[in-house]
Formats: sequence, structure tokens, C-alpha cells
Amino acid sequence: MQVDAEPYPFAFDPATTALVIIDMQRDFVEPDGFGETLGNDVSYLQAVVPPLKKVLETAREVGLTVIHTREGHVPDLSDCPPAKLNRGEPSLRIGDPGPKGRILIRGEYGHDIIDDLAPVTGELVIDKPGKGSFYGTTFGDELTARGITSLVVTGVTTEVCVHTTVREANDRGYECLVLSDCVGSYFPEFQKAGLAMIAAQGGIFGWVAPSAAFLSALVPQEVAS
Amino acid sequence: MTSTIPKTAVLGPVAANPYAWPFDGSVSTARVALINIDWQVDFCGPGGYVDRMGYDLSLTRAGLPATSTMLAHARATGMLVIHTREGHAPDLSDLPANKRWRSAQIGAEIGSAGPTGRILVRGEPGWEIVPEVAPIPGEVLVDKPGKGAFYATNLDLVLRTHAVTHIILTGITTDVCVHTTMREANDRGYECLILSDCTGATDPANHDAALHMVTMQGGVFGAVATSTAVIEGTTHAG
Repeated sequence: MQVDAEPYPFAFDPATTALVIIDMQRDFVEPDGFGETLGNDVSYLQAVVPPLKKVLETAREVGLTVIHTREGHVPDLSDCPPAKLNRGEPSLRIGDPGPKGRILIRGEYGHDIIDDLAPVTGELVIDKPGKGSFYGTTFGDELTARGITSLVVTGVTTEVCVHTTVREANDRGYECLVLSDCVGSYFPEFQKAGLAMIAAQGGIFGWVAPSAAFLSALVPQEVAS
Repeated sequence: MTSTIPKTAVLGPVAANPYAWPFDGSVSTARVALINIDWQVDFCGPGGYVDRMGYDLSLTRAGLPATSTMLAHARATGMLVIHTREGHAPDLSDLPANKRWRSAQIGAEIGSAGPTGRILVRGEPGWEIVPEVAPIPGEVLVDKPGKGAFYATNLDLVLRTHAVTHIILTGITTDVCVHTTMREANDRGYECLILSDCTGATDPANHDAALHMVTMQGGVFGAVATSTAVIEGTTHAG
């Protein structure tokens, strides 16, 4: 199968491709969450939900491997580097009580994935302590065990966790397609720059396409009807 | 080295954006590594990979003078100096198929012959570090197959063996190899500083955006400073 993408068409085999949904957690995406508390405009992230929901539903229909990630730390913060905890003197620190439970702590309500994109039985959920999905997790091993060689990457935020994960995946030889309307940033400037960087220099980190192009490749009959 | 130059010094606070670096106030240079990323002919020399792709070399060379000054400062103050080189084994057995394919699409296939030898192949003239910031005996060299300097290398082991906790980054290109390495280092708990005058990119907009991204959310990957600020933020002991 082939998707019209920048800077070249993206060829993939659904049997060896995973849909990866990065950090669509309540604390980042929902109004009144940690992200909004820091002064961010979550509407940019909210806009990702409808197209991503459609991609997720279609992926489930055709049996694509689906993997969700969540950024967070264990309750005693033993996996949180001091630099991450203390840098920049934040008004709310990781582990502090927040509007939806302790900030970025595993098991808290705000740490979990939003209802619209909640994982179903059989879908893998990777808990990660950092921005990248590979470091300090079993993500790479899980991909190998499933024979996955291509990743369709979605989620938030574009320039932080999505970019770090795509960079890690690219160095490991995975083919990465980033769906431009299914990734989001609090900052439009970084959304634009983040997508441009992926496809720069002949696709130095991978490919970029809108979700409609991916869906039309995945289920061509839908386009015809 | 003359006897008047102290072997270690204290770094910080360094005037940086978005916070005075490091987060913990100050650090002995014995715990700091200067990592110079990919100052190779292939990325900033005539006839190399970036030149072959048709980019303006003055953009990737822009940070060389300041990096040379910063390198001298790091040596004089006893920081661990590490140089990285991106490249592949001559038989290309560590070159991912998609990386090779993409380089061919843009007209500079990795492994193909060019004016400075086989592109991005270890041991070729184009793969060497440019003379302005060349390593001296005793400095660490890390050869990496990817953009990040941590994946499939011994960098993390070298840093932990030397008890390094803080990292200062220079090199090219800002948005690709420097940023990937900074992100990897940040996830591993190292406190990072990227030097705006010691980096450069094939696209100035990507250089600016990459530096700006670091400063968001209270310093999501660390902080940004100039080499001058680092030098001014150094207190020589004794």
C-alpha cells in the first residue's frame, strides 16, 4: 500500500505497521488539566482528537497493531531525573497535586488517556519516563516481537514527544509516517516547524501526510463510495 | 598547557534561556562534558555530503570560530571533551535501508564515491573532523550510525564512567543531530546546555526553531546560551 506523502510516497504493509498514539493523556489534552494550568491553549490539542479518533477506529477495523504511550513517573518519583523535576522553577512540579490528581504520576486520573481514544483490550500501552518512547521502556522489544517495521505516528506534542520518538525510531531503522492533522502542539509555530523538520533533507526523519491520505490508502473502498 | 591554567573550574550560573544554567546552580567542570557533534567534512566541508546535497556551507560552518574558542576553554578548565562522528561501516552493514534510499533520492547516496571519499563512510576523508575543531590525543571519539549520539554507541557508558552529570552541546546540524542527542541526553537525566553560536543548520529557520523549542515549558530539553556566557560564567579555582 502507498500513501501520498512528503517528501515521497510512503509504502507500507499493514501486517508490519503499527499505529502509535503518543501521550493523548488527560493532563495534556483536556481543559483544566496540567497543560492548561501552565497557561497553554489546549484547543490546538483538542483539534487532533476527531481526526485521530477516525484513524484509530479504522485501524481497529482493519486489524492494524495499535500502541498507546503515556508519559509519567512512579509515585515515589524514583524514575524522575532531578533536572526534569526542578528545572525552570515550575509553578506546578511533577508529583504535586493537580486538577486531575498528582501531576504526571502513573495511576492518577490525569495521567490516563482521554476517553475518546481509550485503549481497548489487546492494545499495548507503553509507560515512558521521558519524551522518547524507546528509552527506559520495552517499546523497541515489543515492536520486534510483533514484527513491526513501520510506524504511523500520532499524538502530542508534535515538537516534544512525537519528535523525540520519531528521531529514536528513525535511528533504529523504522519507517515513520507522521499524520499532520493527528499530531498537535500548544504552539502553531512549532507544529509547522516540527512537521517541516521531519520531511527536510529528503525526509531526514521520515514522511508526513494528512490522515485522509493514509485512510484512503488503508481503505480505498471508502473513497470510492 | 602552562602551569597558570587551572585544571578544574566551577561553571554557573551561566546566563541562559529560559533559566540560569545549570538548574542546580553551579557544577564543577570535572562533571561537565563538552560534546562536539559531527563537525565533519561531510557536513561542513567542500565536496562533502551536505555540499553534494546543494546546501549553503556557510550556514553549517557559521559556528566553527565560536566552537574553536569554546573547545579551548573546555580543555583549559578540565571538562571531558567528546567528539562525535556520524558514519557507517565500509560494508554498510549498519546502514538502515530507508536511510540509504533517502540519501540516494536526494542525489548523495551514502557509500557512493564523492570528492572527499565515500559519503559518510568511516575512515574516508569526508568523515574526518575539520581541522578547526579537530580532536587531540586523550579526547573521546564516539562513532554513531544515527542522528542521536546515544543509540548504538558507548556514549552513556563513557559519561557515567567519568561521572558526568552536565552536558554542553555544539555542532551540526542544530535541528537534526544536535537536537536528537540533546533529547536523548535529557531523557537520561543529564542537564543540558546548547550553544546558539556554536551550532548551525542547513535551513536557518530550522536552526532558530530548534533553539526556541528548547526554551519552552520552562526548558523542556535544557537551556540555550552563547559560548561567551559559558566563559563568563566560569569561575577559575585557585
